[in-house]
Amino acid sequence: MRALDELTNIASNLVNPAVEEWKQQGKKVVGFMCTYVPEEILYAANILPVRLRAPNCVETTSADVYLSHLNCTFIRSCLEFTLEDKYKFLDGLVFTNSCDHVRRLYDILREIRPTDFPLLYLISVPHKVDDDLIAWFRDELDRFKESVEKTFGVEITDASLRNAIDVYNETRSLLRQLYDLRKGKNPPLTGAEALSVIVAGFSLPKNKYNELLRQLLAELGEREGISDYRARLMIAGSGGCDNPAYLQVMEDLGGLIVTDSLCFGSRYFCEPVEIGDDPLLSLAKAYLNRPSCPRMVDNAGERSDYIRQMVNDFNVDGVVFQRIRYCDLWGGQLLHVEKEMKESSIPMLSIDREYSLGAVGQLRTRVQAFLERIER
Amino acid sequence: MVTEEKKNVLKEVLDYLSFATDMIVERFGEKHPEWAWIYALLVDYYEEAYKAKDTGKPVAWINFGVPPELFYAMDIMPVVMDALTGSLASIGSAVKYIDLAEERVPDYICANNKTLIGAALAGDVPLPDILVQPAHPCDSNLATYPVIAEYYNIPYFCIDMLYFKTERSAPYVASELRKLVSLLEEITGKRLDLDKLKQVMQYSNQAHELILKHEVLRQAVPCPYSSLEAISEYGLVLTLAGTPQLVDYFERRYALSKDKVSRGEGHLPKEREKHRLVWIYGAPTFDMTLLMWLEKEYGAVSVANMNNNFTMQPVEDLSNLDSILMGLAEKVTLLPMTRECGGPWENWLDASMDLIKRYKADAAVFAGHVACKSNWAVIKLIKDKLHDELGIPTLVLEMDLFDPRVASTDTLKAQFDNFFNVHFKG
Repeated sequence: MRALDELTNIASNLVNPAVEEWKQQGKKVVGFMCTYVPEEILYAANILPVRLRAPNCVETTSADVYLSHLNCTFIRSCLEFTLEDKYKFLDGLVFTNSCDHVRRLYDILREIRPTDFPLLYLISVPHKVDDDLIAWFRDELDRFKESVEKTFGVEITDASLRNAIDVYNETRSLLRQLYDLRKGKNPPLTGAEALSVIVAGFSLPKNKYNELLRQLLAELGEREGISDYRARLMIAGSGGCDNPAYLQVMEDLGGLIVTDSLCFGSRYFCEPVEIGDDPLLSLAKAYLNRPSCPRMVDNAGERSDYIRQMVNDFNVDGVVFQRIRYCDLWGGQLLHVEKEMKESSIPMLSIDREYSLGAVGQLRTRVQAFLERIER
Repeated sequence: MVTEEKKNVLKEVLDYLSFATDMIVERFGEKHPEWAWIYALLVDYYEEAYKAKDTGKPVAWINFGVPPELFYAMDIMPVVMDALTGSLASIGSAVKYIDLAEERVPDYICANNKTLIGAALAGDVPLPDILVQPAHPCDSNLATYPVIAEYYNIPYFCIDMLYFKTERSAPYVASELRKLVSLLEEITGKRLDLDKLKQVMQYSNQAHELILKHEVLRQAVPCPYSSLEAISEYGLVLTLAGTPQLVDYFERRYALSKDKVSRGEGHLPKEREKHRLVWIYGAPTFDMTLLMWLEKEYGAVSVANMNNNFTMQPVEDLSNLDSILMGLAEKVTLLPMTRECGGPWENWLDASMDLIKRYKADAAVFAGHVACKSNWAVIKLIKDKLHDELGIPTLVLEMDLFDPRVASTDTLKAQFDNFFNVHFKG
């Protein structure tokens, strides 16, 4: 399993050989927070987009000088990495107003590290979708594109955008194929492995990632499927779920994670960008219409429907609805999801957690009890 | 057979406010007639809210930040959720609803939202015909109101807002308000009467102009306002904007303050006004007697707070719907709390510094509501700036504005004791 090993290795670190090689060629790398940032715009500028993570961050001592214990540990970890200069390889950071924690991280960096990153940008994303707002968002993306062009002295043409969308659509298609393999009775890879594959893609040039995905799909075709599991699980809930070890805890107990509704997962790739005459408009439409995070206000029902659909498609026995503590957006969504799952007789385990892997004993106890309840 | 009347929090608040009004008139009527004015207005308001369903009047649940003027113009009763939950907290009724809500949502969701969720789950609040909220100021609002609407199948509208205040903001919000009007027309089956809206906007502007004039008087030393009024008045503005009652209130309040200031008098005698506090965020709703204790114990008058900081201008052009909506949009983006908590941190910093300077304050208080993650994220930056640039100390309190179990009044008093000892001893 050469491709899987390589992707798993990439996922376990912040920087990987491909990023180093990219930098050695004198090319730019820009970090982004949240999947509402259309990476294609950066890719079209020959800039490598890397999604912000803080792998293996175990304490947030420096960050906590600024942020409070009432802020989520994902953001505190990312600030910690900034203060420890672990993001020094980045030439820019792009945020959205995705949540209160994220936007305040952007604010803090503007104040305390204003010159660390040549590009420090926040894209204002509408909280709902209609034709007016799609048109407005298209304009907002155009401004972002201009800012990238100005900051890095590059030109982003319609042709380069179309090419980027094509490359990213191929990624989406390959990841869908990967997830399709997990629908069967004996999926060829675990949830932790699948998450590693997804996470690795956030810090690789997508053309290289696509090559690895193709190789992986071929290799998985030869792999024996997993049959010794107690129940098929789905992971739903908040962002910042980028640590395969978290899923591994559940899988060590016999729960096989077969799908998810995460932004570090299926919500990232499930819909292709349909290219029209105006590639920015195409991106605006696709990004606003994709299966949403609860920052989007009009889709509470659709989010529950999406979970239900995944449960059916992947023959799921139970849903683990996890949130990073202090994530109001997913915390509020719980009210709806719990009711909907109950009405659909879908067992659900609701968990608050921290970004770094902790309280493993408690997690094991709760998952064990859940598995006892639902196992086949 | 006597059937028990269905519990209704609107009635509960109404009964309490009626009782409080009578008590205030009886105890303070001669010395402070104005203290009962706010309560009396709220009694009328809640009476109308309570009876709305029976009279067939459509009801909208709205947040602070949604212009009530549109609803008054369309004969829809706007029940301001934040004012309702604040009132429930002030009479000690929020806690049971918070507990009930926490069976279904995490504890870190705002107690303001949890109070409403709990009351709805208990069936103690009649559901509205529509729920309207702005996209600011916080995730907790954004996460819970659309979910409540979905949960109970209530028509819902969010007035989306941009993160940055730029030349694009007002047209964006005006477009949202236009969509809201269409939805309200659809729900009520009635077209918006432009003449009625103009009349409502005239009331809104009259009150607004008085607020701005009054604001200048409130800066006087000694402060002509009691701490209680300075903190609680904003709820009135965000609830009754567009009504003649609010105009009447501010006419009376302005005259009273003008008289006091012209005589050099304050709420406290000049020699007893030792400190002037600016609450750069909210203040505890569960026990506002803390403000009186500060006056009595330390001569510390709470002269201003983030929420009672209306610096935007009235809507200038009332000639047509577009111009009115554009004016309202401009106003909405600058409303207190929307401005400070919903946008970049500099909005909060600038507003706080401005308040401290205008009101000649010598200390700032951050009543750090545990659910306000965005404010907690930058309080260190704010505190440092106030200290470095204005030489002002900030008391940072970790508390819940609605729930005394996080930090009790006694806990808060002890922290004020420490603060005054450290910064103002001698």
